[in-house]
Amino acid sequence: MTTPLSAAVIVFLGAPLLAGFLSLVIRNARLLHGVNLATMAALVVADMALTGRVLTLGPFTTLGDLVYVDALSAFILFIIAAIGLTCSLYTWSYLDDYVACGVVAPNRLSRFFFLFHLFLFAMIAATMANSLGVLWVAIEGTTLATTFLIAFFRKREGLEAGWKYLILCSVGIALALFGTVLTYYSSVRVLGDVSTALNVTKLLEVADRLDPHVLRVAFIFILVGYGTKVGLVPMHTWVPEAYSEAPAPVTAMLAGVLETVAAYAVLRSKMVMDQALPLGFTGNLLLLFGLVSFCVAALFILIQHDYKRLFAYSSIEHMGLAMVGFGVGGIAGTFGGLFHLLNHALAKSLAFFASGNIHRRFDTREIGEVRGLARVQPLTAVALLVAGLALVGMPPFSLFASEVLVVSALATQSFASDTLHFGQFVTVVISDEVRSLSIVAIFLVFAVALFGGFTYRLAAMAWGTPPDHVTRGEEWNVGHVPLIVTALMLVALGVALPERLKALLDQATSVLLVR
Amino acid sequence: MVDLCSALLLLTCFAIVAQRRLSACVDLFALQSVFLAATAALVAFLTGIHHIYVAAALTVVIKAIVLPRILKKVIERLNVTRELQMNINVPAGLLICCALVILAFFITQPIIPLGFLLTRDSLAIALAIVLIGFFTMIARKKAVTQVVGFLVMENGLFLGATAAAYGMPLIVELGVFFDVLVAGLIVGIYTHRIQDAFDSVDTSKLTVLKE
Repeated sequence: MTTPLSAAVIVFLGAPLLAGFLSLVIRNARLLHGVNLATMAALVVADMALTGRVLTLGPFTTLGDLVYVDALSAFILFIIAAIGLTCSLYTWSYLDDYVACGVVAPNRLSRFFFLFHLFLFAMIAATMANSLGVLWVAIEGTTLATTFLIAFFRKREGLEAGWKYLILCSVGIALALFGTVLTYYSSVRVLGDVSTALNVTKLLEVADRLDPHVLRVAFIFILVGYGTKVGLVPMHTWVPEAYSEAPAPVTAMLAGVLETVAAYAVLRSKMVMDQALPLGFTGNLLLLFGLVSFCVAALFILIQHDYKRLFAYSSIEHMGLAMVGFGVGGIAGTFGGLFHLLNHALAKSLAFFASGNIHRRFDTREIGEVRGLARVQPLTAVALLVAGLALVGMPPFSLFASEVLVVSALATQSFASDTLHFGQFVTVVISDEVRSLSIVAIFLVFAVALFGGFTYRLAAMAWGTPPDHVTRGEEWNVGHVPLIVTALMLVALGVALPERLKALLDQATSVLLVR
Repeated sequence: MVDLCSALLLLTCFAIVAQRRLSACVDLFALQSVFLAATAALVAFLTGIHHIYVAAALTVVIKAIVLPRILKKVIERLNVTRELQMNINVPAGLLICCALVILAFFITQPIIPLGFLLTRDSLAIALAIVLIGFFTMIARKKAVTQVVGFLVMENGLFLGATAAAYGMPLIVELGVFFDVLVAGLIVGIYTHRIQDAFDSVDTSKLTVLKE
């Protein structure tokens, strides 16, 4: 393999590890932030190199077959690097603020960055892993790295959220390991006992000879397992708690990037198993989980009075939407789903940046107690409204584009078979057209409910007279840069898709539609 | 032979469900891990695949020695010995476990005939152990027993991997062991902090966050 390519991969894996251990040694806050930003910048540069390579030459393996990068993983890496960079900028002002007012002891910054970089490393390793087993190990690694980040403020609520997160995700992911074991079981019978029998490259070669019975059970376990991490209903209960208790930049990473990486794990398994399973089996399962998540989250959004939880439920809803896209499949559905992952990562990190600013100023998470944000923090208010409008799918923003793609794919698709098989137990038989249109109708009803609930709450926060104890006015600092950049990207991607990104998305789509 | 060993593993599972004393639960888990290592070593011997020996040795070191020690320390420090209140009482729990075993055999029915002759029923037993571990986490309230439940799940998974597929690739196995070890350490720290903040390790007290 050519050297610049391996170099890019090594930068991707090495930089966060190096930065993590450096952070443990460094005591100076400014230097810590510097190391953090330098790492992120390195990641972005490496990502450019990788993407260019994948676009021209296609997928490749390196580092002794341990690393496999194709358009799909390059796309996810792009999300990790981009959101990672904006998060790092935001972290700077956020943590400095907390250190200045004495909530966080300066010497705990090192530990924050150590865990943050390990978290980053685990996500990158998961995205680049060739073996489904290593993918699992890395995803479990993200759980372990983030649990103390969630409980970083050491308050009772934080500890509770962290504990629930740790237990629920570990259990969920243990189920995914069982799925992985079953996959291995089926591939060993074809390939013999070789250490590469879980590698995506190998599995794709022999996929048509794998045993469909085993893979069917395996995919269900994998979907439930990684689905816990994605936050699909009914395994979603950790999401609102962890998101509302974690420090804002961590939440932005969890919501924007970790969910995306978990979705990637599901997609990677789906891509392999689609080769062996009857058409539509994996898709229908994703569709079912996605729709349920979307609808349940929409209902919960209507009753929220805590703005961070509001955004957390919106995450569940949007991941559900993306899953619907992947479940429907076809070019429109898959492209829409992938594009939606990116847009959601942008919008959700913006939302949590804004809510972090609000929380620091108003010292409350109750929507009812936040009034007159437009006068107190004008810039944050704009960011909050942009994020909110983007998240309900209003036109100038890119989420509108991806949502329309997914919904139109849902409406126009012809289901592969006449029946939706939910296991062997329930079989629903309705005519094709009626079914797809009725699903779309249900979908749109919930989308409208969601639109109402969301805009009503955010408008209430933005306008009105601010409470007296809150200082007005917002001083410019480095933490505002990511707010502006992310908001601009949301608009720009909604208006026109850059050539390069479109090519990447197209290739990633065709990776998922190999058959 | 392998089936016999797997059956012993399943038996320790039931013992854990029936046991109220926390330190005894941890002991039983250690015993189960020893059986697991024995099963793995047996499979390694019968098939002549060497890297399973490594996994068996790691099982003994990490799951039968290191993790039980950590958990015992936690128990000592927290001064909790018995679990008086459970979400589901012992007889009902045992009955549910029986149902879970039957369920596990039912799920794996279409898969079993495909397996290697040596280890046919082990996959079903492995799934049963995973489900029982899962159930233990739901039925118990104390943080320590919940962790034991999680580790039992992990044991079941490992049994599944060794018995059904003669072990995962070595790199994956090492990674899994590393994760389990770190998870054990984290849980140790966590129970300490929960104790500090709540004056209890009863997870049913963790109810500040509600809808």
